[in-house]
Amino acid sequence: MRLALTKGRLEKNTVEMLEQLGYDCSQVKNKGRRLILPIGDGSIEVVLAKAADVVTYVENGVCDMGVVGKDTIMEKEGTFYEVTDLGFGKCRFALAAKKGTDFYKGYQTRTIASKYVNVAHSYFQEKNMDVNVVKIEGSVELAPILGLADAIVDIVETGSTLKENGLEIIEDVCQVSARLIVNIASMKLRKQEIEAFLDRIEEFVEKKKQEEEKNGI
Amino acid sequence: MRFRDKITPEGTKDLLFEECDRRSQATQKLKNLFTMQGYRRIMTPALEYYDVFARAANYLPLDLMYKLTDDKGRLLVLCPDCTIPAARLTATRLKDEPRPLRLYYNHNIYRMEPQLKGKSVEVNQVGVELIGGETLRSDMEVVQLGADCMEAIAGDKYRLELCHIGYFKAIIESLEVEEEIKEKIRSYIEQKNYAALTSILEPYKEYRAARALLKLPRLFGGAEVINKAYRLFDENGAGESLDYLKKVYEYLQSLGLGDKVILDLGLVNLADYYTGIIFRGYFTGIGEQVLSGGRYDNLLGDFGEDSPSVGFGINVDLASRKIKEVSSDKTQILVFAETTDYSAKASAHRKELNRQGIIASNSVLGTKEEVIAYAKAAGIPQIHMVGEEISIWRAEEI
Repeated sequence: MRLALTKGRLEKNTVEMLEQLGYDCSQVKNKGRRLILPIGDGSIEVVLAKAADVVTYVENGVCDMGVVGKDTIMEKEGTFYEVTDLGFGKCRFALAAKKGTDFYKGYQTRTIASKYVNVAHSYFQEKNMDVNVVKIEGSVELAPILGLADAIVDIVETGSTLKENGLEIIEDVCQVSARLIVNIASMKLRKQEIEAFLDRIEEFVEKKKQEEEKNGI
Repeated sequence: MRFRDKITPEGTKDLLFEECDRRSQATQKLKNLFTMQGYRRIMTPALEYYDVFARAANYLPLDLMYKLTDDKGRLLVLCPDCTIPAARLTATRLKDEPRPLRLYYNHNIYRMEPQLKGKSVEVNQVGVELIGGETLRSDMEVVQLGADCMEAIAGDKYRLELCHIGYFKAIIESLEVEEEIKEKIRSYIEQKNYAALTSILEPYKEYRAARALLKLPRLFGGAEVINKAYRLFDENGAGESLDYLKKVYEYLQSLGLGDKVILDLGLVNLADYYTGIIFRGYFTGIGEQVLSGGRYDNLLGDFGEDSPSVGFGINVDLASRKIKEVSSDKTQILVFAETTDYSAKASAHRKELNRQGIIASNSVLGTKEEVIAYAKAAGIPQIHMVGEEISIWRAEEI
């Protein structure tokens, strides 16, 4: 079975989770430059990939499962099962503009800068607003400051980058967290293996949630 | 603008030699199954009036059809689906033929796909439609035929999933929520998106229907699924749908297909289109469905006939990948007339070789040296030089 992991922070979180579930992840932790690594007794292989590629590999069935952020799923879309909210990698999509501007005032067509052009598009489509969406690859905060855009749609964790660049959040678009996705054919062809794996993950996520709630109180 | 005269449009491809052979082998195997059981072939045009598909907008989004116009400005589409033209034909030209009617087809369908995702926009499909007839007997026949097709292509390396959309419909209809939310619930079940499903159903959780919907993505597996489903929800016709599904499932079990069939009550794709059983087929090693079908009792009504129908289609491009053995159709002997005076003799010799089942071609090159150079380059093992005598040149002798 192949599990595609989004490199970076989600990879770390996932490895932590897998270790707590009793899978030996030493190879992943000492991966060097390798991109495909066995975990546990070797019945599962971890494939390290960029977020958007995790979706592609799972959708095409070369990986059976994947861990990827909801942000990437929303941007890429595709056909697969989105079975579990893993509860980590939490952040949100937000609409932000220069401090003190009234974004919704007037009738001119707004320009929105974003790395996530599909997310931005569908958000404003739901509001029945025509907007120009400009794709920005790097620091999106620059676009309103330089005068290219009226606002941005971007991932926000703490909001401090926005603040330091003179931007403020107008509204939240939606919450984002890491998801476990499964290829549709794999779910049918390797039902037992995958279900057993999913059950363990679900149990873990549920326990973690309860712990967090307890600590919260 | 770039002049694209040396490439094919994205999502299309040229098929060469072995690839063509794989496709024809795959289709031949399936066509044999169909014709031996009395299914008869129809061919519908690649161009259809847009109006034929206009009522299908609910399950066949307009924006994925290739549209063009005829000389009077009327809107045409490149055929995006095989079943709808078959329904058009059935309700019109075949309206006086006795029912049940067994049809099969094999042609290309065209659907736009997002670029750079590796998806084909031109897909070769083969499939059957069984129109009229008693529901249960027809369903049993067609699902079994689907399983036979999968086996004919890939031996035992396949799975068939089976659902009855009536179960989902009974539950969702007994939940009093807006249509928009119902559609969201449906799509979350389709994606097995437990997280989103849980939160959208949260306000309704005191209702039995909502609690059943929440479990729907998990309702897949063997015979136990039906009992579980019964306990979750049996009102509003849900129980009847389960009884029906059980009959079809038990029939497949009695054919020895129990380990090949998975029941998945969360299979709620195209809920507007299907009216009874839905089934899909998967091959080991292929990450998407190869076969998809079900019962669509309302479709013919769109064309003015009230006949129940069931059918399925198979993606031949995917099925062809499972064909391992490719027959060699390369030239074995090149027949060369030393001068054109011997052309008639050479051609008679070539025909004789062909009659013996040997693939032999005429040489259309002028000199011996050219013919030998060509045979070497093309890997042709023998040349028969036809003059007064016939002398044989063999590649392995050099």
